[in-house]
Amino acid sequence: MEKGKKILSAAALPVIVLAVCLLITSVNGITLFDSQLSWITFTRAAVNVLLVTYALSINLNSGRFDFSIGSTALLSSVISAMIATKYNLSPVLMLMISVVTGGLLGLLSGFVYVTVKLPPIIVSLAMALFYEGMAFTLTGGHGVSFASNAALMEFGTIPNFLIIAAIAAVMMIAVFDHTKFGYEYKALVSGQKVAVNTGIREVPNALICYLIAGLLMGAQGFISATSNGSITMSLNFGSISPMFMAFLPMFVGGFIGRFINDKFGYLLGAVCSALISLVYVRMNAASSTQQIVSALLMVSFLIYLNNEGKLKHLLKRS
Amino acid sequence: MKLIKKFLVMQLSLLMAICLSACSSGGGSSAEDPTAKTVKIGVLVSDTTSAEALSFRSYYENYIKSVYNVDFMYSDELKDAAAEQSAIDNFIANNCQAIISFASADRPAQIEKCETEGIYYAVATGTLTDEQYEQFKSYKYYVGAIGPDLAIEYQAGYDMAKFYLDQGYTKFGMFTGASVYFTEMHIYRAAGMIAAMCEAGNGDYEGAKGMDIVGKIMSEGGNVNTGKIGSVELNGVVAGYDFDDAWFGKLAAVANDPNVEVLLAVGSGQTAFAGFKPEGKMLGDIDCYTADSVGLMKAGTLNYLAGKFSASIGPIFAATLSAVYGKPIRTADGNAFALSQGYWIATDAETAEKYFEVDSSTTAPAYTKEKLDTLIGASYDDFAKFVSAYSFEDIQK
Repeated sequence: MEKGKKILSAAALPVIVLAVCLLITSVNGITLFDSQLSWITFTRAAVNVLLVTYALSINLNSGRFDFSIGSTALLSSVISAMIATKYNLSPVLMLMISVVTGGLLGLLSGFVYVTVKLPPIIVSLAMALFYEGMAFTLTGGHGVSFASNAALMEFGTIPNFLIIAAIAAVMMIAVFDHTKFGYEYKALVSGQKVAVNTGIREVPNALICYLIAGLLMGAQGFISATSNGSITMSLNFGSISPMFMAFLPMFVGGFIGRFINDKFGYLLGAVCSALISLVYVRMNAASSTQQIVSALLMVSFLIYLNNEGKLKHLLKRS
Repeated sequence: MKLIKKFLVMQLSLLMAICLSACSSGGGSSAEDPTAKTVKIGVLVSDTTSAEALSFRSYYENYIKSVYNVDFMYSDELKDAAAEQSAIDNFIANNCQAIISFASADRPAQIEKCETEGIYYAVATGTLTDEQYEQFKSYKYYVGAIGPDLAIEYQAGYDMAKFYLDQGYTKFGMFTGASVYFTEMHIYRAAGMIAAMCEAGNGDYEGAKGMDIVGKIMSEGGNVNTGKIGSVELNGVVAGYDFDDAWFGKLAAVANDPNVEVLLAVGSGQTAFAGFKPEGKMLGDIDCYTADSVGLMKAGTLNYLAGKFSASIGPIFAATLSAVYGKPIRTADGNAFALSQGYWIATDAETAEKYFEVDSSTTAPAYTKEKLDTLIGASYDDFAKFVSAYSFEDIQK
């Protein structure tokens, strides 16, 4: 496929989603982007989803389902917020603490996984409970609130969100597409046994994957916390839910990834997801409506992906 | 020699008599004094992370347990009736003599099970419906219920909205929390707020006024709709606890709406609105007193707080203990009690701080052992009088 055609194919889905979103809102007499707040809401949602999608995809592509990413974000944001509020730190320092903590927690999850050698689902569930419990204990269950801390609350601007998204995308492309680790990762994704037989060491590779996922979730936890000025505690796997917002953009990103770099695919998937979120906000959609629409969209897209060949065949015949 | 033998026999007999007498008096004492034995109480909870739930737990764990010979056993976070039944089974297996319930997925089933198993059961921070009370009031092991009844919830919402309406504010935004999950407490609070708007604006809410608004909200699936209420405007409403980007976006949109002057929350208002609210807008919440809420009041972010106080669960504990000690508190006609208790209201940081100081104390909380001891074995009238004097000032007297 030509380069121009590839770009057009990649852009087609986000453009279609944007067109549908604009149509739905205009039919209802609503402007999709009516104020700066709409743009902030859209950008924040896109960055949040992007970071979770990247973090989830790193391990999921390797067959490791990591349920602990939400709790990694929770605990890293709790630790960074507690330190930042105690020592009156700037939001940039809080972000750095959150990212480093997230990385360490991710590394710990990976270390436990490669040490105990249990299925990743079981290990990640255990780590999720452990991190949730840690966050609960650290805050006495009360969570952290800093809504009246103007310095930390002022971080949530469009340029700041875009900088974080850009750093995450550049890091992902650089690490996974331009390093030895990245090539080994791809080899392991394609066929672990063959890759290991060629001398690739899967344990260090897995550890680095968990580390990068943790770094990304540290950033995501920071954005969530500084958006509303409080961190609410979760127990009994309550932190797992943020992971599910990444599935639709992951599938969309995987689809777009046929035409361009899959990291851009995830970015465009996150943009699609954020546009849909903005429609929910602008139309003040009920939570039940949101869930039904989101589920229908994901199932429809999966049905399309599974039957793409048949559909093309039918179109050709007709 | 014979004399020595006689003397020894006499000595041994005397010693034996003393021992027997001591044993008998000791045994009798432990049987008569119920406080000598640790009473194990199971606590059913449906929430383990909210500030309110944590402050209740802290009162039992850090104060009550240190001054009474009791031990508390807590359930996990209970989400449905089956989990409640399983938790009760677990309490029974662990020899709990009573259960205090903060969980309400299926209260009738809880009461039935405790009656069948012969274990005392009490409802904390809640009440039964009138129909349920009529059905269970005569049960031997049903101790009773103390908590804000639905009329008090309605009044709490009404008072909060009226506070701002009286100051001339006419444009409102609301967070209705779990109203969409048909949580009556939140529906009644929201209805109370709207009723106050109807009165002040000389209008109605989609044809309904006063208590009829409850039915209107119920018929709309727990949703509150925006619109004009006479001269008052309800310009934004958010419900649910989705904690996703769309939910936060909706909250930010209402908080920043130029047509909203006052944000009212049926609960969790500090989590919902405080982070998004621009300076100058008012925020009122119905929740509890925490260090964070006091901090927000000091910063001017929160201006009105109707809060449950953690020691409010002291009297239901005393009544339950009294029942375990064989002195159940029953109404004049021998039934379980159903008593109501309301909120402490703070409209300035100083008051909120004063309330929080008492509420969070682990040595001198609002209801101390000295006060609760007067309730063990008390008459219904004395007990009811004590519970009804719940204002901060009354308790301090």
